[in-house]
Amino acid sequence: MLSFVFRRLAVAVPTLLILVVLSFVLMYAAPGGPFNSERPLPPEVLANIEAKYGLDQPFWKQIVNYVSGVVTGFDFGPSFQYKDRSVNDVIAQGFPVTLTYGFWSFVVAVTVGVSLGVAAAIKQNSWVDYFAVGVSIGAQVLPNFVMAPLLLLVFTLWLGWLPGGGWNGGQWQFLIMPVIALSTSYMASIARITRSSMLEVLNTNFIRTARAKGLPMRRVIWKHAMKPTMLPVLSYLGPAFVGMITGSVIIDVFFSTGGIGQFFVNSAFNRDYSVIMGITILVGTLTILFNLLVDVLYAWIDPKIRY
Amino acid sequence: MSLLEIEDLKVTFTTADGDVNAVNGVSFHIDKGETLAIVGESGSGKSQTAFATMGLLARNGRATGKARFDGQDLLQMSQREFNAIRSKDIAMIFQDPMTSLNPYLKVSDQMAEVLMLHKGIGKSQAVSESAQMLDAVRIPDARARITMYPHEFSGGMRQRIMIAMSLLCQPRLLIADEPTTALDVTVQAQIMQLLGDIRQDFGTAVILITHDLGVVAGFCDRTLVMYGGQVMEEGSTDDIFATPAHPYTSGLLRAVPRLDREMGELMTIAGEPPDMSNLPTGCPFSPRCAVSLDHCRNQRPAMETTGNRRRACHLPASEVV
Repeated sequence: MLSFVFRRLAVAVPTLLILVVLSFVLMYAAPGGPFNSERPLPPEVLANIEAKYGLDQPFWKQIVNYVSGVVTGFDFGPSFQYKDRSVNDVIAQGFPVTLTYGFWSFVVAVTVGVSLGVAAAIKQNSWVDYFAVGVSIGAQVLPNFVMAPLLLLVFTLWLGWLPGGGWNGGQWQFLIMPVIALSTSYMASIARITRSSMLEVLNTNFIRTARAKGLPMRRVIWKHAMKPTMLPVLSYLGPAFVGMITGSVIIDVFFSTGGIGQFFVNSAFNRDYSVIMGITILVGTLTILFNLLVDVLYAWIDPKIRY
Repeated sequence: MSLLEIEDLKVTFTTADGDVNAVNGVSFHIDKGETLAIVGESGSGKSQTAFATMGLLARNGRATGKARFDGQDLLQMSQREFNAIRSKDIAMIFQDPMTSLNPYLKVSDQMAEVLMLHKGIGKSQAVSESAQMLDAVRIPDARARITMYPHEFSGGMRQRIMIAMSLLCQPRLLIADEPTTALDVTVQAQIMQLLGDIRQDFGTAVILITHDLGVVAGFCDRTLVMYGGQVMEEGSTDDIFATPAHPYTSGLLRAVPRLDREMGELMTIAGEPPDMSNLPTGCPFSPRCAVSLDHCRNQRPAMETTGNRRRACHLPASEVV
C-alpha cells in the first residue's frame, strides 16, 4: 500500500509538468497579452514592461524559468494584474475562503445527499422515494447562478435574515448562502448515485443472506449494504471535493466572498499568466491528491482491491 | 404436530406485465428431524416456496395461505417476531455460494453476528464458537482462516461456510435451496455428505430443494414433486422412485442419466415450462403430458391421497408408466 502511494506520487510529478506545459501553450496561443488594453501603450513602454516580466524571452525559456522558479523557491511569480502582489499572495488570500465554504458545502452535500439516496432506496416507490428523487432533480436543474440570486432575494431582501454578501472572516451568517448555493447540485448528484447504488446492493444475494440471519433492517443496511453502496459514490466524491474547495466564480461574484474562483476567471480574462498558472497548478495538485485518496479509501473498503 | 406445515401457499409477484403466480396453492409438512426433497424444474416455484417461508420474497412479491412453524403462522408474523426465528430456528442456505457471503466483511464478522444477535454473547466468544463450527464442517485451519474474507475461499469452501453459519444456533429446520447446483461434481458429493452428517449429528430437519434427482435418492425420506407452482405428487422417496404415480415424475426420472444401465439416448420432456403469468386452467403439466386426457386441459385434477402418498392427476395411478 505504501509503495503504491509513493509510486502514484512519483507519477504525479510528470503529470503536473505536462499540465504546466499544456496550460502554458494554450495560454500563449490565445490572442492578446496581459498589457494589451483599449488604449495601446507606446511600443517602448510595452517593450520595457515585457522585459521586466520576462515576456520578451523565447517561449521555451519562459517555461524553464517558470518551472525552475516554482520548484526551487515555490515562487509562482508576480501577478501581472495586481501590481504589488505575487501569485502566492493572491492564493493565500483567496484559497482559505473557498476552502472554507467549499469544505462546508462538501459536508452538507455528502450528508444530505447520502441520507436522501439511502432513504429513497430503502423506501423505493413510496412517497419518501418520490420526494427524494423530486428534490434531487429540482436541485440538479436549478443552476447555481439562479439559486444564488434567489437566495439573496429571499433571505436578504425579503426576510432580511442574512447579509447579502461579504466574507467577514468566514462568520457563519456569511457562509450559509454560499454553502447552500454551491452544495445543491453536488448534493443532487450524490443522492442519485447513492440511490441507484443502494438499490443494486439491496438486490444482491449477500443482502438476502443477511436478512435470512434475522438481522433488523437497520443493521442490514448499515453493516452489510453501506460499504458497497459507497464505492461508486466515493469515486464521484474525489473530483467533487476538489471542485468545491476550489470554489466557483458564481459564488464569489454573487456573494462577494473573494475566493479564488473569481480570481481564476478574472485572470483568464486579463491574461494574467502567472495567476492562471498558479491556480491551474493548485487545482491540478489537489485533483491528483484526492484521486489518490479515493484509491486508498477504495482499498480500505473493498478487501479484494490490493495494490 | 409437524415442525412446519404449509397450507395452501400462494406467491404472487406484481410486475409491469401483470401478476406472476409463482406458487399456486402448495401444501405440505415436515416433521422434526425429517428430510424432505422438493423437486421440479426451473420455474416450478420450489425456490419461491422456500423464500416465502423465510420471508425473503422480493419486494414485489406477496405470500398468502399459512406457514405454521411450531404452530405459529410465519406469514402473519411481524418483522421483529420473524427476525427472532430466522437463523435461530429456521436457517437457509442458498444456491450460489460465490455471491451469498458479503465480500466486504470478514467471515468471522459475518458468522459472529448471528450468535451475538440470537444468543446475546460477546464478540470474542462468538468468534471462537464460529471457528468451532467451521471446524465441524471440515474447513482446515479454521481458527486462523476465520479472519479471512470470502474471496479467499473456493466455492465449495464458501458453501461450507454458509452451512456452518446456518447451523450456529442449531436450528430445527434447515432449508437448502439447491446447495450444490453451482459446484462441481466432486465438491457436490462432499457437500451432500456434510449435510447428511449434520442431519444426524444435530437432528436438524432438512428441506432440500433441487432439480437433481440423483441427489435426492440417497438423502431424503420424502419427496415432493412440483410443477407450475403446484404439487404434482408426494410420497416416500423410495416409492416415488420405484413407482412414480404422475406422468411428470416419471418423465423427470427418465431424464436422469444413469451410469449403471445401458439406456441409449437420454429422454427429455418435450415442451417448455409454463408461463406463470398465464397458467392453463387445467393441469399445468397437460400441454406437455404425453398421456393427457381430454379433460386434463380444462379441469384441474384434485389431490387424491392414498396411505402416505398423494397425487394430482386424472389418469389412474396404475396407468402411469
